[in-house]
Amino acid sequence: MSSGIPDVLKEWEVLEKEFYTVQETHRLYMQKLDEVSKLQKRFSSSISQQKKSLKDISRSVQKCRKGLSEEEAKPLDDIRSQIRERQNIFYEMEAFLPKKNGLYLSLVLGSVNLNLLNKQSKTAYKDEYERFKLYVTVILLVLAFLCRFIVSYRFVDAVLNFLLVWFYCTLTLRESVLISNGSRIKGWWVAHHYISTFLSGVMLTWPEGKLYHMFRNQFLAYSMYQSFLQLLQYYYQSGCLYRLKALGERHNLDLTVEGFQSWMWRGLTFLLPFLFFGHFWQLFNGISLYLMSQLPECVEWQVSMCGHCFLVLFMGNFFTTLAVVRHKMHQKNQAKAKTQ
Amino acid sequence: MALEKCQTEWDEIEKEYQQLQETHKVYRQKLDELTSLQAICSSAISKQRKGLKDLKHSLHKCALTSDEKQSEQLKDIESQIKDKQHVFFDMEAYLPKKNGLYLNLVLGNVNVTLLSNQAKFAYKDEYEKFKLYLTIILMFGAMACLFFFNYRVTDEIFNFLLVWYYCTLTIRESILMSNGSRIKGWWVLHHYVSTFLSGVMLTWPEGSMYQMFRSQFLAFSIYQSFLQFLQYYYQSGCLYRLRALGERNQLDLTVEGFQSWMWRGLTFLLPFLFFGHFWQLYNAITLFTLANHEDCKEWQVFMLGLTFMVLFLGNFLTTLKVVHQKIQKNKEKLQKAE
Repeated sequence: MSSGIPDVLKEWEVLEKEFYTVQETHRLYMQKLDEVSKLQKRFSSSISQQKKSLKDISRSVQKCRKGLSEEEAKPLDDIRSQIRERQNIFYEMEAFLPKKNGLYLSLVLGSVNLNLLNKQSKTAYKDEYERFKLYVTVILLVLAFLCRFIVSYRFVDAVLNFLLVWFYCTLTLRESVLISNGSRIKGWWVAHHYISTFLSGVMLTWPEGKLYHMFRNQFLAYSMYQSFLQLLQYYYQSGCLYRLKALGERHNLDLTVEGFQSWMWRGLTFLLPFLFFGHFWQLFNGISLYLMSQLPECVEWQVSMCGHCFLVLFMGNFFTTLAVVRHKMHQKNQAKAKTQ
Repeated sequence: MALEKCQTEWDEIEKEYQQLQETHKVYRQKLDELTSLQAICSSAISKQRKGLKDLKHSLHKCALTSDEKQSEQLKDIESQIKDKQHVFFDMEAYLPKKNGLYLNLVLGNVNVTLLSNQAKFAYKDEYEKFKLYLTIILMFGAMACLFFFNYRVTDEIFNFLLVWYYCTLTIRESILMSNGSRIKGWWVLHHYVSTFLSGVMLTWPEGSMYQMFRSQFLAFSIYQSFLQFLQYYYQSGCLYRLRALGERNQLDLTVEGFQSWMWRGLTFLLPFLFFGHFWQLYNAITLFTLANHEDCKEWQVFMLGLTFMVLFLGNFLTTLKVVHQKIQKNKEKLQKAE
């Protein structure tokens, strides 16, 4: 659509007028931004003050409690339970305030605020995290397959290892952001990714040689199984989580994990043997590497280091999963005892 | 009695808590209002942007069939459009926005816009400090590897640190750009290339080829870190002065090269910079020679040679351009004076 000069000039004038409106809107926005920032600061400091007062009164209550009977101490116990409840409420409130980043995020990103300020964006971010995990897992599966069956160059192996290092690093970053936004991912499942980063890094530096080739196929097959398992987990866990969230039984920001968690007893028990098989494969890797490090021709430090890593991974995974199984059995026993 | 004291204390806290709940409600409300304003602002700006783009198209078509006077008008409008685009860039520095490809991949959809000038400036200072501290650590690391430890393990740790350092720089710079900082072209690319270089160094296995290049590489790293330190020290002083005079943007960073504003007092840095560039060229040539050596079977040698060559060309030509521009300006000044 060609327009003559006068049309162009007219269009320009219209845009100029709109531009002034945009400037006005932006000015109002900056004003409101300033207002909200001040309110934020005030709100933030009131919460910290309240938290401090709660701590002080908690201590006084503790002192008062000593030497009192059950009956007399009832109001104090009441206060104590209210304090606990209050702390949970503050945790929820603070999810909508900017907060300082932990050590890891501070080191990598600096002091940019990563708090997503509404439930919708938090859930969207979590969904994005799950999708990211899914896509990269598929890519890793394909690449490991390629390395195992089609090409056999150290260069392509290095690409796979770099991708693994980058993948686990990025996971740790995104998980730190999720935790900062109220997601309750705990303990081993986070440490697990840091260890996997380290393991992949060490694999990366392992030079070409006889011992490398002895372990290569086992490692690639293991990587393929791991990726396959993670895909299984993602597929079944997300379906299950969706159901449970709809029933209101799980928190919105609960993630699919690489292990077995208590909520998975409702329909996902069949995954357990697959998981344990993966754990024992890790043990097998650890033992193979340990045996290789005893060989006379072994000069690389990577062999024993990778062996240690695999053992740590095995123990962490196995015992964490075992704890869930034991907890369930304990619950079953208690239920049985009650009905008898 | 102690019990009563506790009770009174608790009642006080309850009162404050009620107030807090009120503030919370108001805060959430205002936050929602802010969010909707943000959305309105963002969409208004994108609409204007699109309108301007379409106008530019029409302008170009008209420019072909216009006379002298109309050409003047059209040129004027075009320069005004460019100004507007700068204004929008600055406006959007205060609005939450979608992250670019790189940040999206690494962080996902979390917004990294810092919403106040103070916060932006603090973030930039933090970036500079991070660069400074890591540069010092890298310098000592390289010295330790060169003079004290001669193990592949310590070399690996040093290389991993380099990879991590450059990766982190790229992430932080992406965040700065999202917040209105105008870091351009080669200076951003440079860090991605350096990440790749350090990554390849990492995979280079122990061997006679590696040992032949190792000392040269570590000495080069020491010089690089020293040079970056010099740059930081002198540039930040200069930038501070220029900002106070209002001649530079608040979010301008110290860089690893030479930029036009540095002619005012930092010209002495140029020889140091060129020496660094030529060292990169020397590294590339050494590596190419090693690649042709009969014992050489590692792909890393040739790849590193190429990468050093790319770094040399990028750095040298970019710096040369700045020098060239200055010489041109000086010539024009002389011509005007005559």
